[in-house]
Amino acid sequence: MTLIRFKASQEQDVDLSRTYDAIVVGSGAAGGMAAHVLTSQGMKVLLLEAGKKIDINAELRSMQWPYEHPRRGEAPPGYHAIRFNEYNVRKPPYAKGSAFKHVFSYVGGWGGSDYVKNILVDEKDHPYTGTKYAWVRARLLGGKTNIWGRLALRLSDYDFKGKTHDGYGEDWPIAYADIEPYYDKVDLYLGISGHKENLPHLPDSLFQRPNKLTASEVKLRKSLATMNRTLTPYRAGVTTDGVKNKYRSKCFGRGACGRRPGGCDIHAAFDSPTGLIYPAMDTGNLTLRTNSTAHEVLVDPNTGKARGVSFVDSVNHKTYEAKAKVVIVAASTLESARLLLLSKSRQHPNGIGNSSGHVGHNFCEHVMGPGVTGLVKEMVGAPPTLDDGKPGGFYVPRFRNLQDKQPGFVRGYGFEGGSGFGLFPDSAWDTPGFGGQFKKSVREHAGAFISMGGFGEVLARYENYVDLDPEVKDAWGIPSLRFHYEFSDNEKKMCEDMANAGKEMFEAAGIEVVGVDKNILTEGWSIHELGTARMGTDPKTSVLNQFQQSHDVKNLFVVDGSSHVSASCQNPTWTIMALAWRSCEHLADEFKRGNL
Amino acid sequence: MNISRRTMIQATAAAMSLPALAKATSPSPKPQFFTPAEFALVDEMSDMIIPTDQQSAGARAAGVALYIDGRLAEAFEKDQPERWRAGIKAVEALSNEMHGKAFMASTPEQRLALLTRIAAAESDPKSDAEKFFREIKSGTIRAYYTSKIGIHDDQQYKGNVIQPGDYAGYDAT
Repeated sequence: MTLIRFKASQEQDVDLSRTYDAIVVGSGAAGGMAAHVLTSQGMKVLLLEAGKKIDINAELRSMQWPYEHPRRGEAPPGYHAIRFNEYNVRKPPYAKGSAFKHVFSYVGGWGGSDYVKNILVDEKDHPYTGTKYAWVRARLLGGKTNIWGRLALRLSDYDFKGKTHDGYGEDWPIAYADIEPYYDKVDLYLGISGHKENLPHLPDSLFQRPNKLTASEVKLRKSLATMNRTLTPYRAGVTTDGVKNKYRSKCFGRGACGRRPGGCDIHAAFDSPTGLIYPAMDTGNLTLRTNSTAHEVLVDPNTGKARGVSFVDSVNHKTYEAKAKVVIVAASTLESARLLLLSKSRQHPNGIGNSSGHVGHNFCEHVMGPGVTGLVKEMVGAPPTLDDGKPGGFYVPRFRNLQDKQPGFVRGYGFEGGSGFGLFPDSAWDTPGFGGQFKKSVREHAGAFISMGGFGEVLARYENYVDLDPEVKDAWGIPSLRFHYEFSDNEKKMCEDMANAGKEMFEAAGIEVVGVDKNILTEGWSIHELGTARMGTDPKTSVLNQFQQSHDVKNLFVVDGSSHVSASCQNPTWTIMALAWRSCEHLADEFKRGNL
Repeated sequence: MNISRRTMIQATAAAMSLPALAKATSPSPKPQFFTPAEFALVDEMSDMIIPTDQQSAGARAAGVALYIDGRLAEAFEKDQPERWRAGIKAVEALSNEMHGKAFMASTPEQRLALLTRIAAAESDPKSDAEKFFREIKSGTIRAYYTSKIGIHDDQQYKGNVIQPGDYAGYDAT
């Protein structure tokens, strides 16, 4: 059953002889938002997406039962997802010399790999080099928003003014008050579900109705409240009451939310195509070209300004040029850095917008891995309840280094968690024995477990960076990224605390701890890479100003996560979109005044 | 957006016609990878791991062995099917050693004794037969709990349904 009855707008023909008002590179959260804001201001925009356009609903099949699928959701033979051990034992490029037909990042190894096999990039075509890194990429219209985890959180002045608070790193060139109206706009335009908590370090959104909690989660919430900590229903970039958008349905609490790598075939969960790009096309101001991999921002030799973008058609491998008065880069944190570094010219010998030498640097993200699993004894043998069909379970916001000062580390972390009955009883893997007793035990324990894992702030450090590999190129002949990146002692200390604090919180709630995971997952695992073209007030130590505008090239903007000054510990997508909205409003004003 | 009654009826009709359709198009339940003897052993052993009980039918009724056979027949990494074949041989050798006959020729009590013996080392399997227990238990868990019987009859899974009104669960109060 499909609840969506509208097809996307008629696509306009791409006219490469024309000079567009703006070119947007990338169609994910950032690029989609840029397209939305600029077209609604009447600007004529060409959107270039490196990936293909596919029938996404046919991929996601959100309500398909495992037994309706020939391999119970697994990808066909010959598809391989890189495993944790491979990331750590081998060095990138991970697919080099692989006998498999297709190699994907670890996300392709989750249950339901068949549903992402046309969404994730094939690592064979997209090599990278350097230090170990689990780089997850999706090349298609909408990018990773097609499969994102949907946790939609705001940052606060604990994040924007982190240096003022604890002395580390740099403050952002904006404060919460500057971005708050744009968070509100994003909330209202796209829809977000959650429960108000009035926390200064995790500001509330303009919420639609929240997801419900399980009995186990209510128990933990009550206990945490006595510790002055919070468990709140997963704040999800999902419209639960509906939005004015004919391409999206509200959430009916159905489907595969909890058991696959994201994706929602009625688009209650935000994705860039239905949330931003199709409505932008309906203005008549947006032209889309997919299969178009930008590899150089072109420069006017007289003015040094951006004059357009050179791109390779990923199907026919031919190179084309598109012209525009303004160029907006939104290719994702790492791909945007790559594009800037690739765009070398007489005026910009180190890459466009890189007079500071900071492009690719201050690379940061979230560290994850440590977590805790508990057994809620009174739930053993409880009759099955409907605990599934929601975008996530719960979130425990940061509680470290707010009023207190931890001896081992600065900044903080939050926990994402879940509990209750799922489609598959995961505890079966750890239930010993066989026979009637085994079967009964699996049944009785299926809904009794609760688990949570930390997401911690990785400090932005100049020493963590990417540059271009001098030799290795991708399948289209474009130089690959080379990683120089590793976690520091601050992250390791923070991770020790995550495991200990998680255990303490479960124990305090009377939940029997059955597993404590202390292992740190490979760099990149959180898929929250940030910071490679940071904003700032000083052109010597930052790439962009507070409107994500290049200090060096006034008609060049970089509106994705690369602009973030610090990672915070909150998931970045909502901030990426709020910032892009703010910057693109400014951009449109300046454009109309003839200042670009 | 409301789900129209018409849509609901269509969906129900489609769901009801599914089993008939599946029956008409599914290949005959003949193993593609296992020999008939191997198949019989895997079928029996999977059903001993997850047997029929008062709540639900077991692994045999859920078609666990046939599902495993299908995956092994098309496996890209050839060491996986080879491991299964070697594991079955090891079980047969152990059966001969313990009872002087093949696994399927043994009595139910003898089969149980063998399974109990190779399951005892589950947390740290050493011999090929012990390793095979882990292999077939994993395969049985994966296939059974993704089957219709496993999901609906045994687990009585309540999700993957449309919730047009309030969501199930508790408020954060």
